[in-house]
Amino acid sequence: MNLYEKIIALYPNLTADDFAPEGTIQLQNDSDGKGDYIKEWNHPTLAKPTQEQLDGVQ
Amino acid sequence: MSTVKSKKLQVGTDATSSNNFTIYQPATPDGTLRIGVGNADSPTEVGRFNSSGYVATNAPAFSAYNNTNTSFTANTLTKIIFNVEDFDTNSNYNTTNYRFTPSVAGYYQVNLSYKMETVANRTVLSIFKNGSEYKRMIDVQSTYTRYTSGSCLVYLNGTTDYIEAYGLSAATLSGVANSLNQFSAYLARAA
Repeated sequence: MNLYEKIIALYPNLTADDFAPEGTIQLQNDSDGKGDYIKEWNHPTLAKPTQEQLDGVQ
Repeated sequence: MSTVKSKKLQVGTDATSSNNFTIYQPATPDGTLRIGVGNADSPTEVGRFNSSGYVATNAPAFSAYNNTNTSFTANTLTKIIFNVEDFDTNSNYNTTNYRFTPSVAGYYQVNLSYKMETVANRTVLSIFKNGSEYKRMIDVQSTYTRYTSGSCLVYLNGTTDYIEAYGLSAATLSGVANSLNQFSAYLARAA
């Protein structure tokens, strides 16, 4: 499960519009072997998930 | 009528050498006429002419393509891998981090085209400057997208500024390795 899918699993009400380029959540991958990461999280009501929460999503 | 023959001609006699120019033939003649800043004893070349006309000697230009796929996770801005150079006149493009960091300040024409096959998905291509989106090249949601392309002009300071190419797809997919893809730029006008 990738980062986007994990975040959607944690917050099922999020839609694609909540994500970059226009949304308040920006996921990014710099093609450096380190994988996807949360570059910006500016959602007005939902808290940025912790690594522990993300790791807990199966 | 007299003929003057010389290998160097200094234009200007200012006490500050950088205010003077020198027109000269290189020590080993190669069919070019050089123009340099400075006095005749030690000009620094800034341009040259050959039999075809003016040749900008230090204007960076590069073009790269990719022979490996870039993996796009849905709704994740992903740096597009352009890991093979067609050319790189000033060694300003890095095929490891896919950045163009030109060594000459000025305004650069940037071109990007990429085969990112999607079916009924949003596709975005952008140029990033210093890590942030600078210009959106294309943003489409079509029934079937194959090649996408765009261009822009960007000022780069010749030392630290850099550009990269990023893409986004609304669905997880793999961008296609293809020598017809391109990420390229050249100096349109020096600062």
